[in-house]
Amino acid sequence: MTAAAAPVGSAGLELRDVVKHYRAGTELVRAVDGVSLALAPGEVVALYGPSGAGKTTLLQLAAGLLAPDAGEVLFDGRPVPTSGERHDRLRHEVSVILQATHLAPRESALDNASVRLLATGRSFREARRLARPWLERVGLEERADQPAGQLSMGERQRVAIARALASDPRLLLADEPTAALDSARSREILQLLVDVGHHHRIPVLLVTHDPAAVDVVDRAHTLRDGSLLDGVDATLLGLA
Amino acid sequence: MRSPTILGVRPTVLLGLYRWRVRAHPGKELLAAAGVAVGVALIFGVLVANTSMTRSAGDLVRSIVGSAQLQLAARSTDGMPAGVADQVAAVPGVRNAVPVLRVQATLVGPGGRRPVQVMGVTPALAELDGTRTQGWGRGGLPLAQGLTLPATVGRAVGAEPGEHVRLLIGGEERAVVVGTLLGSDTIGTLDGMPIAVAPLALLQVLAGMSDRISQVLVQTDPDRLAEARRGLERVAGDRLDVTAADHELRLLETTARPNDLSTGLFAAISAMVGFLLAFNAILLTVPERRRWIAELRMQGWAARQIVLTLLFDALVLGLLASGLGVLLGIVLSRTLFDAVPAYLAFAFPLGTQQMLTAGAVLVAIAGGVLATVIASLLPTLDLRSPRPDLVLAQPGEAGEALRPAVTKTLALAGLATIALATLLAMLAPPLTVASGVLLAAATLLLIPAAFDISTRLLARALAGVRRSVLPLAVVELRAAATRSIAVACVAALAVYGCVAIQGARSDLIRGLDRNFGDYLETADLWVTTGGDDLTTNSFRLPAGALATIERLPQVRSVRRYQGGLLDVEDRRLWVIARPAEDRAMVPASQLLAGDLTAATDQLRAGGAVAISQAIADDRQLALGDTLELPTPAGIAHLRVAAVTTNLGWPPGAVILNATDYRHWWRSHAPTALQIDLQPRADRALAARAVHAALGDTPALRVQTAAERTAQYASLSRQGLRSLQQIATLLLIAAGLAVALALAAALSQRRPRLAWLKVDGFSSGQLWRSVLAESTLVLLLGGVAGGLTGLYGHLLASRWLQIATGFPAPFSLGGLEVAATVGLLAAIALTTIAIPGWLAARVPPRATFQG
Repeated sequence: MTAAAAPVGSAGLELRDVVKHYRAGTELVRAVDGVSLALAPGEVVALYGPSGAGKTTLLQLAAGLLAPDAGEVLFDGRPVPTSGERHDRLRHEVSVILQATHLAPRESALDNASVRLLATGRSFREARRLARPWLERVGLEERADQPAGQLSMGERQRVAIARALASDPRLLLADEPTAALDSARSREILQLLVDVGHHHRIPVLLVTHDPAAVDVVDRAHTLRDGSLLDGVDATLLGLA
Repeated sequence: MRSPTILGVRPTVLLGLYRWRVRAHPGKELLAAAGVAVGVALIFGVLVANTSMTRSAGDLVRSIVGSAQLQLAARSTDGMPAGVADQVAAVPGVRNAVPVLRVQATLVGPGGRRPVQVMGVTPALAELDGTRTQGWGRGGLPLAQGLTLPATVGRAVGAEPGEHVRLLIGGEERAVVVGTLLGSDTIGTLDGMPIAVAPLALLQVLAGMSDRISQVLVQTDPDRLAEARRGLERVAGDRLDVTAADHELRLLETTARPNDLSTGLFAAISAMVGFLLAFNAILLTVPERRRWIAELRMQGWAARQIVLTLLFDALVLGLLASGLGVLLGIVLSRTLFDAVPAYLAFAFPLGTQQMLTAGAVLVAIAGGVLATVIASLLPTLDLRSPRPDLVLAQPGEAGEALRPAVTKTLALAGLATIALATLLAMLAPPLTVASGVLLAAATLLLIPAAFDISTRLLARALAGVRRSVLPLAVVELRAAATRSIAVACVAALAVYGCVAIQGARSDLIRGLDRNFGDYLETADLWVTTGGDDLTTNSFRLPAGALATIERLPQVRSVRRYQGGLLDVEDRRLWVIARPAEDRAMVPASQLLAGDLTAATDQLRAGGAVAISQAIADDRQLALGDTLELPTPAGIAHLRVAAVTTNLGWPPGAVILNATDYRHWWRSHAPTALQIDLQPRADRALAARAVHAALGDTPALRVQTAAERTAQYASLSRQGLRSLQQIATLLLIAAGLAVALALAAALSQRRPRLAWLKVDGFSSGQLWRSVLAESTLVLLLGGVAGGLTGLYGHLLASRWLQIATGFPAPFSLGGLEVAATVGLLAAIALTTIAIPGWLAARVPPRATFQG
């Protein structure tokens, strides 16, 4: 078992000896094989690993989108549900950012940042009011009324971050959020995520291949063959 | 050796790529194919419905008249003396002169009743070498043994050879033995026609027309046709007609033409809708094809190679789907289409077989393939851009964006198309068919702008609404603009077609109902032979029956109505001879020119007629001019007092005074008794009393005006059956197309729905959102299609009045539009409810799988 220790607060994320295996034809794939990982509130952790190492599976386990075969995923000290009413509530508290932004191209940046809030029964007007400060926070106050289709890739990713944060999440999970960006934009987005995590005391788990992340996050780990290792392999950062 | 290539692509590679694409998106391809199939089924179905029934009549005429070139025909059902045939035989140049008597009757057997035209013939008929009568000569078919019936007619009434059936003929009931039943193996397409054949002498006895015949078919000596014709004209004088032997075909063509024209209009609109439905089914896959093109370009494929792969895909998909569509069309045709219009069956003996022609199959398949190819190649517009990656780099679903400039251009093109359609219809009414087709295209062109404006307005209106999925639904619709617009287009086309066609049909029905209401309200009770006819069958009254009826306490007055069909040039006219005492002489609702009071006075006074517009146009007659009408007594000169619609009889009608009719037709036999009742007399009881006074004969029918009006209403609806069939086919196809389009759109939503799940939306919210999106898009399409459909309806009704002479006053069918939209929405939402619920239950982790 590989454990990555960290102080876990009342709003922290903790994975304890989590196992998730798949069957691919006749072959057993050990996507996550006894991983333990803890993120304290405000802590930003980057997760590196080669393709197929199980990073996205780990992220889905953390979000409660997958049930582990063994072990526990805890949030706030309570098991993360994978179905039912508590699971629905949890989805309002856990924000996920993906490489694909899933923005609606005809809607403005502000409306895109507001959409997630509609799930909680708010009106669009209220949602816009809540989302606008986050749009300012990611530096897009002047582009708020611009259709998403007319924004640059970096701006779109920032809208996606604003959308993820507008609902005031208690856990932020990001899967390759900078994969489609150039290095300058990547660094900008990564720094933004770290700042948000620190400032709002939100644990942030960041799955990435981006070498720049290691310089800005609090901790970095490597997932290889389903097992978690401390630090980052230099080959994964393109340094070797 | 290298295998051959097409534009640098090996056929095996084309096939491989196609298989790869189908395997990657089996659901999408299947739904697209189903959408094309529905469109093709509609095209094929309307082509079948549009097949003129005159083709089937051609068989009958050819099989009877054989090598006869000319005929001498009587001008009324009373016929002419049989001795005329001998005079004709003596005319120089005549080789054969074959007498025929034709009488309308109702055949009653143990299994049912059926109106038939009984043909009285002699064995000499076989000498004409008709295709189906060669065996009827001496020693051939046993004509002397009674009625010869087509097997289909025999089965319909339960008749067996050697058994007796009853013939209701001329107001009397006669028993007659069935001699032979002939199947299609013997008489081909004659089987199924409403005819019966009897020896001439037997029919003369049965019909009480001793020594009378209807026509003489004439075969001339070679090269002596003109001489024979001159001789025949001398025999005919001004009381009989000399025409080509197959003249009846031309009469039928004239009679069927208005129906063919109106069916043609409906068919053209429906076929266009079918074509566009197929087109839109493929349009739903455009985003996916755009992504495909972008990927191929990024892999280094040349533009021409990409076009080739898309073309290959389109041809394979188009051919397979169109083949399926034709099969579906055959099933629908067999289910929906049956007999020919009854209103023609009593004036012409017509068969009931459908015309499933190779031409219809080819046109339908070509339409389906063409729609598939055009829609499939639309994404190749992306090849103009030097940056293939831009399609993939768009936010949201790749390929779903529609540029505002494109929307604006399409809207302007749509408005221009509507203007063009209007100009065409106004300046050249015969081109109204093209206007209807253009309007369908304009509907599509306007949808993107309508979609953009309406969703913007809706988003603004919903900004303050809480706990509703509507705001999300609007965002989602706009996020997949191409797909939403394609679905709205399908709905718009469906509603456009249904509204335009149902509206025009309703106008026709309303016009005919008013016409027949006016026509029949001139009496409280009608006594007729009771067939599905236009009161044209004369009958003999039992001795003393008229006096008995007049003495009945409920009866106030009895009048003899007369009428018939008269062949004038290429028109078989409906002659209406009203007693001068009738409440009305001209149906007020059908008057097109003339003053009703003045026309009524002139008709009552005699020497005047009201004629249909078509007759007035043919003869270039105006009010006050003289109509020369060939009658059994010679050429009648009658003053035109009024011009009417065609009164529901396509070739047109002539209304005159019954006294004039008796004079010119030399006939006192009524075709109806019109009976007025005392105030407060019970009509049903009075009808029974009148029938008893007639000896309770089944050969005569007593109906109240309301009952007869209902019978005519049924007749007119049956007459417009092809229009109803097309409308029904369109509605079914529209419902299927909308449901398929929604299903196709839904199948493409899975990744997006999964993402929304990740974003915190519940399954219930997403299901409601899917239903709301479907409803909104259907409403948008429905309203747009409804508006252009109403306009199409207006143009179609106007054209029907101008081109066909049918009464078809336009009336705004707002309720019908709402009902059509509601029905389509109900069909579509019911279809989509369960798949939508299943789609909304997509696990959120699916967003990580695509």
